Amino acid sequence: MYLASLCLINFRNYVRQEISFNPGINIISGGNAQGKTSLLEAIYCLATSRSFRTLREGEMVRLGCDYFYLQGAFVLREGRFLAEVGYRQPRQLQIKLNGKLHARSVYLQKHPVVIFSPDDLSLIKEGPSVRRRFLDLEASRLRPLYYSRLRDYYRALRQRNQILKEHRGGPLPHHSLIEPWEQAMAKAGSWIVRERLQLLEDLERLAQGHFARLTGGAEEFSLVYHSSIDLGGGRDLDLMESSFKEQLSQGRAAELRKGATLVGPHLDDFFFLINGLDVRRFGSQGQQRSAVLALKMGEADLFNRTGEEKAILLLDDVFSEFDETRRRHLFQFLSEREDQAFITTAVPLPDFKSYRTEGAAFYTVQGGKIKIG
Amino acid sequence: MSFPEPLQKLIDEFSRFPGIGPKTAQRLSFFLLSRPREEAAALARAILEAKDKLFFCSLCGCLTEKDPCRYCSDPRRDQKLFCVVQEPRDVLRLEQTGHYHGLYHVLHGALSPLDGLGPEELRLPQLLQRLVEKEAEELIVATNPNVEGDATAAYIASLVKPLNIKVTRIAFGLPVGGDLEYADDLTLSRALEGRREM
Repeated sequence: MYLASLCLINFRNYVRQEISFNPGINIISGGNAQGKTSLLEAIYCLATSRSFRTLREGEMVRLGCDYFYLQGAFVLREGRFLAEVGYRQPRQLQIKLNGKLHARSVYLQKHPVVIFSPDDLSLIKEGPSVRRRFLDLEASRLRPLYYSRLRDYYRALRQRNQILKEHRGGPLPHHSLIEPWEQAMAKAGSWIVRERLQLLEDLERLAQGHFARLTGGAEEFSLVYHSSIDLGGGRDLDLMESSFKEQLSQGRAAELRKGATLVGPHLDDFFFLINGLDVRRFGSQGQQRSAVLALKMGEADLFNRTGEEKAILLLDDVFSEFDETRRRHLFQFLSEREDQAFITTAVPLPDFKSYRTEGAAFYTVQGGKIKIG
Repeated sequence: MSFPEPLQKLIDEFSRFPGIGPKTAQRLSFFLLSRPREEAAALARAILEAKDKLFFCSLCGCLTEKDPCRYCSDPRRDQKLFCVVQEPRDVLRLEQTGHYHGLYHVLHGALSPLDGLGPEELRLPQLLQRLVEKEAEELIVATNPNVEGDATAAYIASLVKPLNIKVTRIAFGLPVGGDLEYADDLTLSRALEGRREM
């Protein structure tokens, strides 16, 4: 898949911009705060109906306006199609494919994009919710069923929490009142955990190859899922479900005091390990960068392996952050594949010439306007 | 710019309907104003008549003109078979199939603590009383196939099974006449879960 052309209206600092792109590599240069990242954000938003910078859609609207609109012409194996994303405060985001309204869940899987950004480090440095969000988004894009199950899980969780809150400080509610929600949580939750385990295993395998190349193969890289549910090491869905359900009913008394559910995939996490040690606590800045870069490369591989369409790669000012080894490996990675790539940079990229620049298109962004060349 | 007060009032009234936004409410209002007075009067009469003459059956909770309703008072219907649904319109939908000849019980919603809906709000005590009085043999639970509908079904099953009444859940799955290929993942996964032996 590649993006042939893009139109932005009232998006971030863009008033109105139409631009065509190269099916191969697109290099976008410009100073800080001119609109480079916003351009990548627009592409990401068209492909996933989400932003990688914010959870609040209103933030993408240009200051002083009440709506934004994006339109992109994608070329897929099955032909060309038009994607549109529109947002008007205070309504919900609207998605149209070839002129027809689409639900977000259906949309998610269709258009694989992978973003490489300096913020990726937050996957290691920040709290568990950032990593859960990463897993949930990846899993939803690879399997739309995941998104519906996740929504069901959170719905049942909120219902159970409501009961806990209503009875807080009092005696336990009758088990027949709370059990139906626990049953729903256990069913959806165990399925979610199994999918996350599988996804993490796939990502780990693919990322390990990249990590070895980044570090000369001296260190061992792994990704480990940590579940609040007692899984007993197994992957059997029925066993996981009954174990989760058991923990929920055992925990009622303690959870009644807290007014919240203390076990389940909504509290799970995963860790990056190098030579068996948690990178978050024991890794150097360099090891952390390598671990995240390897994960993102693995993510791109995973989309190309499982999906029908090749991913679009968005690289947001990553070269300035990397040392020579990582830079070279990233170039190598890009030159080995046929995916469309968008690379933003605040500094010139001299060594890029030796790789895939014949055929690359160059753009300059200044003050919310894009120029070719 | 604001509308004349009577027009604004009409628009506001229409805006309260489910699925009607301010734009559609305006269209409906302007349409109504463009028609003869008699049409507007007929609409007003129809609304009041429906509101005055229809109410919920004191037994099953469906929409009716007389109490008990025509389903509850029909001796030819199977008095040992019950079907529980969420909304009065679900009764009409099931009746249209012509395939069900038992009695109904309408909950007027599904369990949802977040919306303040518990067993008392859902006419569940009345259901139990009716099942016992009629010495029911089977209860079909036809609540919606979503989180709340499924939880309600599980709750009802936990109440009714101890009474030695058979509890069944309506089947979910592939639309008849359709291709397996075109079914969405969610529907297909539920159809697999609900498979049965041949």
